Amino acid sequence: MTVADEIEKRSAVKKAASSAVSGSNGHSSPAEREAAIARLRTMLLIRRFEERTFYEYTSPRTLPDGTREMKIGGFCHLYSGQEAIAVGCAALFDKSRDYLINGYRCHGHSLALGMNPHTAMAELFGRATGCSKGKGGSMHLFEVSAGNLGGHGIVGAQIPLGLGTAFAQKYRKTGGVTFCFMGDGAINQGTFNEALNLASLYKVPCIYVVENNGVAMGTQVERSSAEKDLAERACGYAMPHWNIDGNDVDTVITEFGKAVDRARSGGGPSYIVANTYRFRGHSMSDPMKYRKMSDGKWSPEVEEAKKHDPILLYSNRLMQAGIISAQQIEAMEAKVNEEVEAAIHQAEADPNPALEDRFNDVLAETYPYQPK
Amino acid sequence: MAVMQLREALRSAMTEEMERDENVFLMGEEVAEYNGAYKVSEGMLERFGPDRVIDTPISESGFSGLGVGAAMVGLRPIIEFMSWSFTLVCLDQIVNNAANVRYMSGGQVKIPITFRGGNGIAHQLGATHSHRTESIYARIPGLIVVTPSNSADAKGLLKSSIRCDDPVIFLENEKMLNDKGDVPEGEFTLPLGVADVERQGADVTLISYGRPLDRVVRPAVKALTENENIDVELINLRTLRPLDTQTLLESIKKTNRCVIVDEDWGYCGMGSGILFKLQEPAFDYLDAPIKYVHSDEIPVPYNHHLEEAMMPSVDKIVSAVKEVCYR
Ligand SMILES: Cc1ncc(C[n+]2csc(CCOP(=O)(O)OP(=O)(O)O)c2C)c(N)n1
Ligand SMILES: [Mg+2]
Repeated sequence: MTVADEIEKRSAVKKAASSAVSGSNGHSSPAEREAAIARLRTMLLIRRFEERTFYEYTSPRTLPDGTREMKIGGFCHLYSGQEAIAVGCAALFDKSRDYLINGYRCHGHSLALGMNPHTAMAELFGRATGCSKGKGGSMHLFEVSAGNLGGHGIVGAQIPLGLGTAFAQKYRKTGGVTFCFMGDGAINQGTFNEALNLASLYKVPCIYVVENNGVAMGTQVERSSAEKDLAERACGYAMPHWNIDGNDVDTVITEFGKAVDRARSGGGPSYIVANTYRFRGHSMSDPMKYRKMSDGKWSPEVEEAKKHDPILLYSNRLMQAGIISAQQIEAMEAKVNEEVEAAIHQAEADPNPALEDRFNDVLAETYPYQPK
Repeated sequence: MAVMQLREALRSAMTEEMERDENVFLMGEEVAEYNGAYKVSEGMLERFGPDRVIDTPISESGFSGLGVGAAMVGLRPIIEFMSWSFTLVCLDQIVNNAANVRYMSGGQVKIPITFRGGNGIAHQLGATHSHRTESIYARIPGLIVVTPSNSADAKGLLKSSIRCDDPVIFLENEKMLNDKGDVPEGEFTLPLGVADVERQGADVTLISYGRPLDRVVRPAVKALTENENIDVELINLRTLRPLDTQTLLESIKKTNRCVIVDEDWGYCGMGSGILFKLQEPAFDYLDAPIKYVHSDEIPVPYNHHLEEAMMPSVDKIVSAVKEVCYR
C-alpha cells in the first residue's frame, strides 16, 4: 500500500458512519456548537498534518544537481491517534497566562495552540521561517507568544521545567496554569519523582498529563511499569491522580477542567493519565514488529484501537447531535487538506537559514557583559 | 572599602539584587530555615520570607529544572547547590535545558538564572565530593562560567551574574568562604568575560582562577619575586566562559612565556581548554611551550597528605615558571 493510500484509508469521514458513540455534552448554545466544530477541525488538521509529514519524511527532494536530500531529518514522532488530548487541553487553555510544556511528540499540541501549519512544517524542513528558525526541528517546536514552551527531546526532562513555569505562575499570582505533558515511558525517569513531589509540596498550579499510548518506543507499559495502573504511580505525592479516556475530547475537556479549576483556585497540582493509542510507529524508522503477529499480520489490538479513533468518535457524536453533517465534515476536511498542502508548498519554497545564523540565539547578552 | 568574608560578599550581592528586583529568589537545600549549609544565606529567610528564600528537598534535578522553567518565563532564580559535585545528578537540566532551550527555540526565550555553590577540592571530602566541574560546564555553548577568587570578585561577579540574562554557572569554593577581603562600598559590579591582570610583570604570564590563586599561586608569585627575581604577570580569569583570550594574548605578547595553574585534572581539564585557545595565536610569541600545572590524574584521596600531594603546590608552580624561563 502506498502512503497516499494509507492517508486515504485513514480519512476520518470515510469511517465516520461505521461506529456509534454515545454521550455528548456542552452543545446547547451556538457558541458551543461552533467551538465543537472548531475542535473537530483542529483534530482533522493535526491528523492531516501528521500523515502528510509521514509522506514528506519518506519522500526526499531532488536537488538541481540531481542528488537527493531528505526533506525532514532526524527523529520525527507523529501524534496520529492522540489528537483528543491536545485539542481538549487547548479548549481550556488561556494563552494570556497559561503554559504548555511537552516532550518531543509535540506537533499536535503546537497546532492545537494555534501554531500556523506552515511555521510548523517549515521547522520540520529546517527552514529559516520555522518556529525555531530551523534550529529545533520536529522535537523542539516552540511558540512562546502562545504559551507553548516547547517540545523537549530528552525523555522526562520537561517535567521539572513544567514545575518551574507553574512555580512562576504562583510566585507572580497570575492565576495561570501549566500543562506538562509526558509519555508513559517518561514516568520511569527520576525527574518524575522529584518534580511531582516538589509540585505538590509547593502547591504549584501544574497539571501533569501522561499520554499513555501503551508503549514507549517498543516497550509496552506491562514491561516498563511494575504498577500497571499508571494513575497509581502518583499515589505518593498527595495530589489527585486519575485515569481518563484520552480518545474522547469531551471527556478530556471535562476531566482536565477539574484539574484546571483546582490549580487556578490555589489547590495545587493534579496528575491525569489520558489513555490513548499511537497509530503510527514510535518514530519514522519503527517497523512496529511489536504490534505484529508471528505471521506478519497486525495484531487485533490495532484494529481494536482504530475503533476508538478520537476523530471517528467525535465526528459521530457531532453528527448524531445534529451539529454537523457528513457532507460538512467532508468539506471541512477538504479545506484542512488544502491548508496543509499550502503549508507544505510554502515551506518547501522557503530558504534555509543563512549559514551565519548558526551563531545566533546562543546567548541573550553580548560579552564582555557589564550590568547597566 | 569594607572588609568582608567571601560568604558575606556573596550574601550581600544576593541581598542587594533581591531588594532591587522582586523576580529574584533564592532556592536550594538548607538555604532558608537552616540558614545555609555553609551560612552563605544566613538571615535571608528572615529578611525576604519563605516565598523568596525557599528550602528544597534533596532533589537536584527537580529544583534545578524548576529554576530553568521559572527563568524561561521571566523569573531570575538563584539556585544554590550544596556542592557542584552533586550536579552530576542533574547535568541534564543544566546542559540540555538551561544551555540549549534558547537556541532550540530560535531565541524565543532567555534563561536568566544563576546556579551557585561550592566547587572543587575542599579538604578531605573524598572523591565524590571534590569534583572540579569547571571543565564540564565551561565547554558548553549557552552557559557562562564565573569563578571568584576573593571577596570583591564574589560580590561584583555575583551581582553581574544575577543581572545577566544568560544562565551563569557560579563556582565558589567552600574553603574560601571564611577568607576576608576588601569590597568597594555601594553599588559594585564586575564585568563578565573580562580577566583581571592582578599583577603586572615582564617575565612570564601566570594564568589561574578561583581557589588555587590564594592557596598556592599568589604565594608562588611572592616566592618567584623574592627568591628568583622573576617578574610575574598574574592573571585571575574570573570568567572561564567566555574566556577573555584577548587579555591573555596581550600579556603573552609582552612576556613570551606562560604557565596555567588549576586544580582540575590535566587531560581535558580546564587548562587544556585554555591551551587550545592560546597555542595557535600565541605560538609566534612564545619562547617556550606553555606549561600546565594541574592536579594528579587520580580520584581525589581522603588522606590529607595524599590530597595535598595531588594538587598544584607552590613548589610545582615555581619549577614550572623557572622551566619556561629557562632558569
Ligand atoms: C533520556 C532519554 N532516554 C532515551 C531516549 C530515547 N527515546 C526517545 S522517545 C523514547 C520512548 C518514550 O516513550 P513515552 O514516554 O511513552 O512517549 P511516547 O513516545 O509514547 O509519546 C525513548 C526511549 C530519550 N530521548 N531520552
Ligand atoms: Mg508512550
